[in-house]
Amino acid sequence: MIETLQNLGHGFAIALSPSVMVYAFAGCVIGTLVGMLPGVGPLAGISLLLPASYGLSATTAIVMLAGIYYGAMYGGSTTSILMRIPGEAASVMTCIDGYAMTRKGRAGPALAIAATGSYIAGTLSVVGLMLLAPPLAAFALSFGPPEYVALLLLGLMVLAYMSGGSVPKSLSMAALGLLLGMIGIDPMTGYSRFSYGVVELADGIGIVPVAVGLFGVSEILLTAGQAEMPQVIKPKLRDLLPSRDEWKDAVWPIGRGTVLGFLIGIIPGSAHIISSFVSYAVERRLSKHPERFGQGAVAGVAGPESANNSATSGALVPMLALGVPSGPIPAVMMAAMMVHGVSPGPMLIQQQPELFWGVIASMYVGNIVLLILNLPLVGVFVNLLRIPYPIMYPAILVFSVVGVYAVNGSVVDVWIMAAMGALGYLLRKFDFETAPIVLGVVLAPMLEMSLRQSLALSSGRYTVFVTRPIAATMLGIGLVLLLYSLRPLLAKGADWRRKLGLEGDSIAEKEENR
Amino acid sequence: MTTRGLVVLLALALALPAVVAAQDFPTRPINIVAPFPPGGQADLMARPTAAAMEKILKSPVVVVNKTGAAGAVGMAFVANSKPDGYNLLMALSSISIIPEADKLFDRKPAYTMDQFAPIALVSADPTILVCRSERPWKSVKELVEDAKKRPDEISYSSSGIYGTLHMAMEMLVHAAGIKLKHVPYGGAAPALTALLGGHVDCMAAGPAVVLPQVKAGKLRPLAGWGEKRIAVLPELPTLKELGYNAEFYIWAGMFAPKGTPEPIMKKLRDTVRAAMQDADFKTAMDKMETPIAYLDAPEFQKFWDNDAKMLADAIKRVGRIEEAK
Amino acid sequence: MLTRDRVGGVALLLFAVAVMWEDRAFPLGTVTKPGPGYMPMLLAGILAAMALLVIWVGGRSPALGSLDWLEKKHAVAILGGCAFTALALERIGYRLTVILLVVFLLWVIERKRPAVVIATALGLSLGTFYVFSTLLQVPLPLGPGEF
Repeated sequence: MIETLQNLGHGFAIALSPSVMVYAFAGCVIGTLVGMLPGVGPLAGISLLLPASYGLSATTAIVMLAGIYYGAMYGGSTTSILMRIPGEAASVMTCIDGYAMTRKGRAGPALAIAATGSYIAGTLSVVGLMLLAPPLAAFALSFGPPEYVALLLLGLMVLAYMSGGSVPKSLSMAALGLLLGMIGIDPMTGYSRFSYGVVELADGIGIVPVAVGLFGVSEILLTAGQAEMPQVIKPKLRDLLPSRDEWKDAVWPIGRGTVLGFLIGIIPGSAHIISSFVSYAVERRLSKHPERFGQGAVAGVAGPESANNSATSGALVPMLALGVPSGPIPAVMMAAMMVHGVSPGPMLIQQQPELFWGVIASMYVGNIVLLILNLPLVGVFVNLLRIPYPIMYPAILVFSVVGVYAVNGSVVDVWIMAAMGALGYLLRKFDFETAPIVLGVVLAPMLEMSLRQSLALSSGRYTVFVTRPIAATMLGIGLVLLLYSLRPLLAKGADWRRKLGLEGDSIAEKEENR
Repeated sequence: MTTRGLVVLLALALALPAVVAAQDFPTRPINIVAPFPPGGQADLMARPTAAAMEKILKSPVVVVNKTGAAGAVGMAFVANSKPDGYNLLMALSSISIIPEADKLFDRKPAYTMDQFAPIALVSADPTILVCRSERPWKSVKELVEDAKKRPDEISYSSSGIYGTLHMAMEMLVHAAGIKLKHVPYGGAAPALTALLGGHVDCMAAGPAVVLPQVKAGKLRPLAGWGEKRIAVLPELPTLKELGYNAEFYIWAGMFAPKGTPEPIMKKLRDTVRAAMQDADFKTAMDKMETPIAYLDAPEFQKFWDNDAKMLADAIKRVGRIEEAK
Repeated sequence: MLTRDRVGGVALLLFAVAVMWEDRAFPLGTVTKPGPGYMPMLLAGILAAMALLVIWVGGRSPALGSLDWLEKKHAVAILGGCAFTALALERIGYRLTVILLVVFLLWVIERKRPAVVIATALGLSLGTFYVFSTLLQVPLPLGPGEF
């Protein structure tokens, strides 16, 4: 313990030195900006600054790139809350309740809670990273294909709880999303599925155009022609900060989101965007007022936003402790390290203590910087809402188009965004939830690949899922949850159809709960 | 003016624009397309090369990432662009694999290899065979014997079906006459993670990536696919030495679209040749622990043809997975 | 009898069947060694099952006619704008496309004053180009005359 504190002190000395601070700050600011722009995410920001980092020392370079990474998680919530456009894929869940809060005039509190939750989660997760990196990393490595299958199935089961409406409708949306995720070259056999000769589809349909189209564009399509435009809100200072009740509602979700996000982020390849979905579902399940979700529940913002921030720290655990990238962004950071002659590997913490502790310390500092940066900006951003909607939405559309195009420089993505926008419009008209589609698109490739890898490894024996302890445990939990949700079948009260979730709330009930 | 004089004048007049163009070239920034995401192998090769070329040409040379379809998008982009020398490609050995894989599935190929004119080879790292240190095999011989005793049981991970790491293993499997279980992953990094986690038994990997793990004692290198031993692991025998006819390199080379005028090609080749000598370039490559393996265009073409043929054979042997039961 | 959920369910069912039809080109494999066609078939089956459930319970949902399509024309116009953008982006370049898109949306659809239209169009087009192309170094397509 003493040694850890000593090392940390040494790290702070590095992190607080002017040259490192400047780059940490630059990284955080750029990360926030990049996170705010729809479509363009931290990967783009990091790739952009990668060449610029070559001239810096290794520690400074990683500090800056890490700053972009978690900074983007702060910025991503801004457009999600204000305009229902996901700043990047991890902020999709924030769109739902965050935007609902904006419509109720609570945009300021939503932004403030998102920023605060991000800060708490970011800082606490760095503590976790600092203290637990090597053992957690070893645990993460023990996740093989069968464990992934169990984890992802668990994620899908959790998805069933995300729905306030009817379960068959949500599950059909999930199935739809999973099917969309099948587009592309099958990684196990090389067959090109459902891509109809379009080369750009070989990698799949892309989560960014789907998220931006399904959430942002569909919102524009639904709102732009309405007789009653969304009210221009003139916020007063008092309205910028959350009320005491709202703070109270946020505390536990932030805590749970932090833990959940961190654990999910550690697991290599799980894509930390799942963390926000899982957090949303958990919060909905545990909430005393589940009907509030979708209409502006504070927990629906606090939980996911905390989760995606702590997931970034979690994602750095395998990278720093073992030299194993848990996703594309840590992979780029590892490449940056290699370019500087630092070999990421299991000996990194011992051989390069300045790098490790310098990065850790700078993450503490960076989170504080971001909080200070984002809170006053709440006032600035909320004023954006004063722009009348008919002028606002073309601007949103332009940003969406350029953001989506910028990811791959491909017009195909713009087409996908438009198509998803149309689909989202129709689905919402017919009262189907669109969030499960996004989850499905993300999970499908991973789920299928892990399943077939598991079968390849076990030579076709399905018992592998029961014989491996971690996988068996997760599947067991999933089964219990499933049975629990089917309880109403036993009770067969007058209301069993609705309790089971076959039907959604009637429109009248929805209006009551508003 | 004699007829001969006129002919000479005419010839000069026709050649002059090309020469002038070459002398003026480049007038705009040159794009080097890296068909993989930033931080990937092609990208890491392209950036120091671009920086060195920029110093020599005194004109901007920019690396552009065009990702997708395991590189096919970026490669197709350069293949179809104007052959004016402003769009170049930094490609890896997978350039030879993709058209073959397309042929296998009766797909219209995203591009064909004869749409490219090679400029130079920049690096060529032989893959090395690694297994977890806990596994009992101390040499390739032991692994092969074990594999013969229990066919289809020893597993290896790869970066993807028909990918470079898969093809490398395929060559060994064919040369040694054994059957191994192939578990494809979505990239070299997940494949390495799986190996470190003990979920698969071995894999073929690029040396720069696995070196830290080897040094930390987590992985044991068994042999290399090169013709010669690699500098960073001098005690590691090559498969050729051990009697297996398998040679494979993860190489990176620069290409231009076919039809780029000869003077411009010459200028590009000269620039790349000089870039290889540049001190900063050498330092950058050293830091990445990647040896420079320069080959000028004619030798590179031979190397490429040879390599492509080996890969095409391997792919045809593997065939479509569903039919190989 | 024609309720919203029923129509939605039928649409999904048709889509699921279409997927199954397209999927027949791929080898299914077996349960122990699934081929490329396996998962899509399975998922399409699940989608079809869920769609049938939705149709079955869907009798209680509001009638189709009760849906209002007030914003339909607007939505179609905006989608048309998006399609135009996708088509024009790499042909006439980014800035020109954005200017045309914004002019279309603000002037033709929203009928704002010309001053507002031009200011917004130019501001958005040149502003976003600056942010993305110059600051972020993201290559955006250029149009005629390198504009």
